[in-house]
Amino acid sequence: MNTNLKISNITKIYPGCVANENVSLEFNSGKIYALLGENGAGKSTLVKILSGVIIPDEGEIYLNENNLKLNSPLDAKKNDIGMVFQHFNLFETLSVFENLIIDSDEPRETLREKIDSIMKKYNFSIDLDIPVLNLSAGQKQKVEIIRCLIRSPKVLIMDEPTSVLTEQETSELFLSLKKFSEEGILIIYITHKLKEVMQLCDEVAVMRRGKLVSVSQIKNENIESLANKMVGQNLKTIKKKKEKTSSDQLINITNLNFISEDPFETNLNDINFSVNRGECLGIAGISGNGQSELFQVLSGEILSNKNSIEFNKNYIGDLNPQERREYMMAFSPEDRLEQAAIPQMAIFENVALNNFKSSNFFNNGLINENKIKEHSKKIISEFNVNTDNIELKSQFLSGGNLQKLIIGRELITSPDLLICFNPTWGLDVGAINYIHETLIKINEQNKSIILISTDTDELLKLSDKISVIHKGKLSKIMNADEVTSKKLGILMGGGN
Amino acid sequence: MIKIVKRDQPSRAIFFLTPVLAIFLTLAAGGLIFYILGFKPFEALKFFFIVPIADMYGFSELLLKATPLCLIAIGLSFCFKSNNWNIGAEGQLTFGAIVSGGVALLFYEQEGFYILPIVILAGAIGGMLYASIPAILKTYFNTNEILVSLMLVYVSKLILDYLVVGPWSNPEGFNFPETRQFTDSARLPLLFEGLRIHAGIFLALAAVVISWFVFYKTYLGFQMKVSGFSLKTAKYAGYKGKKMIILVFLISGACAGLAGVGEITGPIGQLHREVSPDYGFTAIIVAFLGRLHPVGIIFASLVVAITYLGAETAQIFMQIPKYTGQVFQGMILFFLLASDYLLFFKFKFIGSKK
Repeated sequence: MNTNLKISNITKIYPGCVANENVSLEFNSGKIYALLGENGAGKSTLVKILSGVIIPDEGEIYLNENNLKLNSPLDAKKNDIGMVFQHFNLFETLSVFENLIIDSDEPRETLREKIDSIMKKYNFSIDLDIPVLNLSAGQKQKVEIIRCLIRSPKVLIMDEPTSVLTEQETSELFLSLKKFSEEGILIIYITHKLKEVMQLCDEVAVMRRGKLVSVSQIKNENIESLANKMVGQNLKTIKKKKEKTSSDQLINITNLNFISEDPFETNLNDINFSVNRGECLGIAGISGNGQSELFQVLSGEILSNKNSIEFNKNYIGDLNPQERREYMMAFSPEDRLEQAAIPQMAIFENVALNNFKSSNFFNNGLINENKIKEHSKKIISEFNVNTDNIELKSQFLSGGNLQKLIIGRELITSPDLLICFNPTWGLDVGAINYIHETLIKINEQNKSIILISTDTDELLKLSDKISVIHKGKLSKIMNADEVTSKKLGILMGGGN
Repeated sequence: MIKIVKRDQPSRAIFFLTPVLAIFLTLAAGGLIFYILGFKPFEALKFFFIVPIADMYGFSELLLKATPLCLIAIGLSFCFKSNNWNIGAEGQLTFGAIVSGGVALLFYEQEGFYILPIVILAGAIGGMLYASIPAILKTYFNTNEILVSLMLVYVSKLILDYLVVGPWSNPEGFNFPETRQFTDSARLPLLFEGLRIHAGIFLALAAVVISWFVFYKTYLGFQMKVSGFSLKTAKYAGYKGKKMIILVFLISGACAGLAGVGEITGPIGQLHREVSPDYGFTAIIVAFLGRLHPVGIIFASLVVAITYLGAETAQIFMQIPKYTGQVFQGMILFFLLASDYLLFFKFKFIGSKK
């Protein structure tokens, strides 16, 4: 039996942002559809609407000509739409079997048989009676998929399913998905990874800024054409003038180790590197390989041995971030909304988070509001933050403007070293270009940068030297013009 | 049709209006309860909320009850604003009372202007010591401060029990579980002849002013605000998180301890089993009803203090148990939390015809 899913004129508006604007699409079973777009393009909103998590402001959904009203995830399930989210919704301490039957009223024995037959059919091997916490990410995902299959869905939606999988697990997943598709399940696959689209899908719909920009057959596309559709403009290329950098050493890290008590963190293992004045050191890697820990050790959120960090001829390993700022270091963490800034506080209050003694924000323990406001105005005008109200809560700034504010706050005191972690994550192209230009500019002023990033293109564009972090260990440091993205890819995967 | 819509941002006006709304809803629900119990609702509410404060004596009693509530709630607001959930103020009050009471007993039948300040200081230190236990356990051993501070309440009450029955009981007291009366030099002076209101109210007012200043004018207050929103940000900014946790617990403990001193050196004048009718717990309601704002806390402490007095009048005149007071306190908190929904959501009336 054929399944036909049609969405027509779906619109969803959030304050200050149109998540979906008049999106209409049609899907038929037997094919695998890709929904492609950058972060914030509106693809997640669209699939959440399809799975009943979000209710659209306007628009209709038809499944085999029936108009569906999806007011809750339960409605979606009842209408045979199954969804596997990027983040698993499993009870870690319950057994696999308990997780699978939790939303079903059929008797346990029938379910057990049903699950066994599904596992046999698709060659899944998971022990049903062990707690979910003992499973690997790929196995957890299979549990989620089985949970959908129990209800024999007509539509299966996968939201960025490979972000947590190894390569092996990814190819297993693709095999299963192809099998499902052959059996008549309509598959919608959400991703921003172009290679996967080319590998797996039959048709691709590209979204950008809430709008559907194209629907096409995969056979008529290639990676470049899809990338252009996804990003929307042929990127203006910024080129860094690679001059000979000085040999004047600014920061030197020797035998830096960090052993975490938290099993979800990565240990850092014997890190050694140095950065000269005017130089940008890029640190590449797949996320979760110790970048966050490295950033925290460098910023002083995690303290280390005094002698392991030498900065400007001072040993500062045991100093906290505020004390390190006094030595002219600056930090821009990855998480804008939960760490670098406080969304509920006004812009000028966020500026006061970076507090130098010489900036006199606080005299004798008292707040000097005028000074802070004056300073904030300067940052806003020098760093093109698009607002004139410094009393505005920072949650009302767009991601790009907030990042400009943060970078501005860190740079306005002209520090000798800026350490930044994924500075352009989730930003639009305009903001990315601005941040990149700013970073190049400070290198030209003979200031140094340590750029920890998961974006290889960004690293190749901005860095003078590049190293790769893998499982908490740094590779040897290479000159950026001798490095190719292929070479980086191999190192990031743990190869040599 | 009525539709519930999420607000773009929490409404500032609603932020200050919901406590008022909560009080009205409490009155309405209270009236309903009285009606079901067979009383005339308005008359009963009058007995509860107006009769007790209709005269000078009643008003002084109101201030007397509001004083410890306000003082403790101010202390708690330091903790709550920085995401530290100290719910053991009752224990810190009791321990403050024990230490200051012990000091007061040392000065038995002595006189001197210096005695009272020492007694007061002892109470504050007692409260601080007691509050430092959950603080240190939290910072160095990652324990949950809610659990530890709460359980310590019962420990302190048992210590008090032991002392007033055993070693500290009044030798001429016919085995009543109470200590000797404190000497006059160890008592807080009364403000008016014939009324019980005492100088402790100035401690509460001083706490209000100081906390306002700290919250809104100092670097410390700014750091507390940042830590309250995000500990990750506080760490990134380089604030000394552990020191601050301990500091807010000490402030909070000192305030609760002072409230304990106020009770035993004010109206009670000795230590006995029940130094506080759960002021330490009720003050949590006061702190939230007052929106953790110093001025809000003054008003909230007055409102909640009425429920104590009202419960007593209702017991005398209407023969309903004084625990009705706690019912009202519970209802206030319940309705406050419920109306907080309005902070984030609003009702939109949609006409059927367009």
